[in-house]
Amino acid sequence: MALKPVTSPDTEAATIELSIDGRPVTAKDGVSLYDVISSTGKIVAAMCYHYTFDPFGSCGMCLVMVEGKKAPVRACTAKATAGLVVRTEGDDLFQARKKAVEKHLSVHPLDCPVCDADGHCELQDMAFQHQVTNLANAKQKLIPEDTRSLVLDFNMNRCIACGECINVCKDVLMIDALQFVKKGGFTQVVAKGDLPLSCEFCGDCLAVCPVGAITNKYSKYLYKPWQLKKTTTTCNYCGDGCQMSIETKDSEVVRVTSPLSWKNKWGDRSETAKGHGGICVRGRFGFQYIDSKNRLLQPLARRNGTLVETPWLEVMHTVVDRLASIKAAHGPQAIAGLITARCSNEELYLFQKLMRAAIGTNQLDSSARYGHLNFVHAVREALGVGRMTNDWEDITKAKAILLVGTDITETNPLTAVRVKEAIRVYKSQVIVVDSVQTRIAALASHPMMVTPGSEGLFLQGLVKSVIEQDLIDAEATGRHPEAFAALKHAAAGVSLEAVAAGTGVPVDQIHEVAAVFAEAPRAIILCGEGVVRRPGGYRQVLSLIDLAWITGKLGRPGCGVNTVTEEPNEQGAVDMGAAPEFLPGQARFDDPVARDKFAKAWGAELPPMGKGATLPEILRRCRSGEIKALYVVGENPLATLPASAEVKAALERLELLVCQDPFLTETARLAHVVLPACTYAEKDGTITNLEGKVLRLRQAMEPIGESLPDWHIMTAIANGLGYAPEYESPQDIQNEIMKLLPGYYNLGQPKKLSPRPDAYLSNGYAASVGSRYRGAATRAGEEHARWPFALTMGQLLYHSGKLSTQASGLIKIAPNTGRLSMNVEDMTRMGLAEEARVRVTSAKGSVELAVQPDLTLRPGSCFFPEHFNEPPVKDLMPLEIDPDTSVPSFKFARVTIEKI
Amino acid sequence: MNVGAMINKLLRAALFYEIWDAMKVTFKHMFHRPITFQYPREQRTLPDTHRGALGLLRYDDGAERCVGCDLCEVACPSHCIKVVSAEDKTLPLSRYASEFYIDITKCVFCGYCVEACPVNALAMTKLYEYSTHDKRALLFDKKRLYEIGERHLEDAKKYLYAHNQEKDDQQSRDYRYFFPESVLKPKA
Repeated sequence: MALKPVTSPDTEAATIELSIDGRPVTAKDGVSLYDVISSTGKIVAAMCYHYTFDPFGSCGMCLVMVEGKKAPVRACTAKATAGLVVRTEGDDLFQARKKAVEKHLSVHPLDCPVCDADGHCELQDMAFQHQVTNLANAKQKLIPEDTRSLVLDFNMNRCIACGECINVCKDVLMIDALQFVKKGGFTQVVAKGDLPLSCEFCGDCLAVCPVGAITNKYSKYLYKPWQLKKTTTTCNYCGDGCQMSIETKDSEVVRVTSPLSWKNKWGDRSETAKGHGGICVRGRFGFQYIDSKNRLLQPLARRNGTLVETPWLEVMHTVVDRLASIKAAHGPQAIAGLITARCSNEELYLFQKLMRAAIGTNQLDSSARYGHLNFVHAVREALGVGRMTNDWEDITKAKAILLVGTDITETNPLTAVRVKEAIRVYKSQVIVVDSVQTRIAALASHPMMVTPGSEGLFLQGLVKSVIEQDLIDAEATGRHPEAFAALKHAAAGVSLEAVAAGTGVPVDQIHEVAAVFAEAPRAIILCGEGVVRRPGGYRQVLSLIDLAWITGKLGRPGCGVNTVTEEPNEQGAVDMGAAPEFLPGQARFDDPVARDKFAKAWGAELPPMGKGATLPEILRRCRSGEIKALYVVGENPLATLPASAEVKAALERLELLVCQDPFLTETARLAHVVLPACTYAEKDGTITNLEGKVLRLRQAMEPIGESLPDWHIMTAIANGLGYAPEYESPQDIQNEIMKLLPGYYNLGQPKKLSPRPDAYLSNGYAASVGSRYRGAATRAGEEHARWPFALTMGQLLYHSGKLSTQASGLIKIAPNTGRLSMNVEDMTRMGLAEEARVRVTSAKGSVELAVQPDLTLRPGSCFFPEHFNEPPVKDLMPLEIDPDTSVPSFKFARVTIEKI
Repeated sequence: MNVGAMINKLLRAALFYEIWDAMKVTFKHMFHRPITFQYPREQRTLPDTHRGALGLLRYDDGAERCVGCDLCEVACPSHCIKVVSAEDKTLPLSRYASEFYIDITKCVFCGYCVEACPVNALAMTKLYEYSTHDKRALLFDKKRLYEIGERHLEDAKKYLYAHNQEKDDQQSRDYRYFFPESVLKPKA
């Protein structure tokens, strides 16, 4: 609730009794009176109030009479105390509220017909409810409209100075990009310093604005709310799985709105731990790709070397005939498939079923291979669970959060809001281990800036420090003395001085951080791309589990090891068995019981064990000619993997390359057949977010052009290949999954998982732990001399994969500058001005490009966003394949930079 | 039969009395003002409140009155209006209707759209002749509606006055909405 009685979720506030409109009500002591009133189901008008932040009390609408007071009081800022007698209705209150509306309206322009908020405006509703028909002394403000921002327009004539935008930005999102300024005799909302707004552009200020003072530039004047068809669906950009509404007019997406809005102001503050309902810049402003002009409208088939538009029937005949003939000539092992984790669960399930049952090959993989599988394999191996064990609520209520190698505000902005809430509401200690000065590091209590690529070393240092400071949980380690002895022995080889030298973090800071983490009653570990997408990611996750184990955090409520995922359905891809090692439900592919079950259910023999291939292996087999046909669904390996992966050579060798994508991607340009697929807005289905919640995708519009949903195309191919099941809708596939994986459709409320580390710690742990603790790589020094700069490729807040580069709204915010971000010190030392051109050379090649200063980078490091291949910086990256999980890592390289 | 009756009969026969008697009405009408209205050679004078074809109006300076607010679209009971609104790129921050359609074949001439219009951009005229060889021509687009508005400007204004939508030209200017300027200086 809004006025919090305590800052710790552990302490319960006292229960008190008060009377509202003559009825006795119980409430927590010290919360806002407004919340107590709204919890009884009464709705008292309020314009400046929202339950996600502390009451501000500027609108003067929520007036109630409290016994003993002569004048009405504002319910939002009043605290509920025992024995209070409150009256919320009555003609005197109606007149007082009407006066407040008149006060606001007298300085509000009556430009409703041209205002974007018309029909969705709280002031309009209030004026109507209170029958305001005549305004004495109305005046106009005539403030020019602030159109300097890229995405939002500020029309301060309409502002009622309720402060909701400022409060949500400062209190909930901790971005603090807006402020009040007194200008021209009126209080106005402006961007900090009255500059053009430049923030994270999450648009939550737009969502909570009760009038039309803040409007969306991308849909300005294009609609009236009543003309739009609103479809609630799940965002398709990252693993957070935010719920949002796509609003369409015919076949055009006009805007995207979030559940957070001034309309849902009534709620309980403790509920925000499950999410405050907001969405990020990608969700809110990155919708243009859905009806983009670049969408594929017709199937394409290669004739005489060029792709030409061909009717569906003909194309499907080609695909099915060629697949059948390749299978007949070379066996099912000549066919492989790749799928993106942006597809729905049903499609991922159908894809692996198509490959395994209809074609008979286990050569299939999804984009979860790029990193998430490192985490899944590690937690399966060590803890016996298949996903992260905590949810957003645990993150919000944690006392210590260890963020390792994740720029969480950029990759998963809404999970970051949970961390921010932990910091602000529950005063949590946050330790950020990253090589960049991230936005979350700026808010964290313990920002640890390590040298690029040394996150793993820092984790070893943390384990060592916990052992050295004796912060060990005796109960947890006591159950497995042998394993603990082995870990102690292994960690003995790690010297904290060497860790300090290797990471650039002094020893006493490592000790402090280890103590903060170990002593917190509820401590959460969140690892991201800096761990799971780097070489040795699997082992680093295991080290994190070691750390959680010896500090006694495994299995304790509110503690756990977690990750964030980049693509929306990476968890679903693993759960649905779109990986050679897993059958649906994460059953091992070589588990005879599971094989039997699925073979029976599918009425087909499963492909033999040991013949499966992961993404790097599929590409190798394509190159060697073992694989003749590749079916690529939404994946784009050519633009994702560096040149050293020799993807082009692999794809050119194929006899048949079928690409199924909404866009003509780089990979699709090489294809023999390109099938136009729908985006998430044009189909039904479900996705599984990083917490394991299964969330609905709902069809917002008819498919664009002749494109078809992926499940539809895959069903057609399966049927063409003589495999029987005919699915008429995703519901049919869902029914089949429900039968095979009972309980998977959890309606957004996944079962709590508890880690079971005992088997792992008692079998073979002692033998394997030694290899993980080797201290700093000995050759690091000489390597650093040869290649002085660390080049990282990573995600920007404004983009997700290559998909978002098709969204013109996001490209407008963050275009491809083609520039390398460098530390300012390095630039001055090398005499580089902004936009000066440099040659970047790695062991894999060299690229010429311009530079730009970046204040968040450490000296000796540079950054290029992974979303853009122009110039081809990705080709500088060496490709390293994890020996345990086959995860290809290619986001980090050591380079030299020369001025040209 | 007596003589008097005979003579009377003869006289009537000689003078074609029955014919004259029968033609009486006809001859009376020769001197009567004609009742038949010679449409379309003659046009009837219509009252100012007449609800005819809809037209879009401009201000005296030639600016379109319509701000594309879509209110006529929701007010229309027969759903014959479609407005596509957009931001005018040449006049930043101003809203206008980039497209405006009225399907006059569906229109029931109730005049609700005119009442709904906040800037009195729509008005009904005395135009009621729509016959055409091509029914598609009856889907009036924005250009056609402005043409109607221009050609029948006086009637349209009279309609608005008669329906108490506005009193005079001065009041139409009072209703005009002026869009705020941008803080950005327009590029010269």
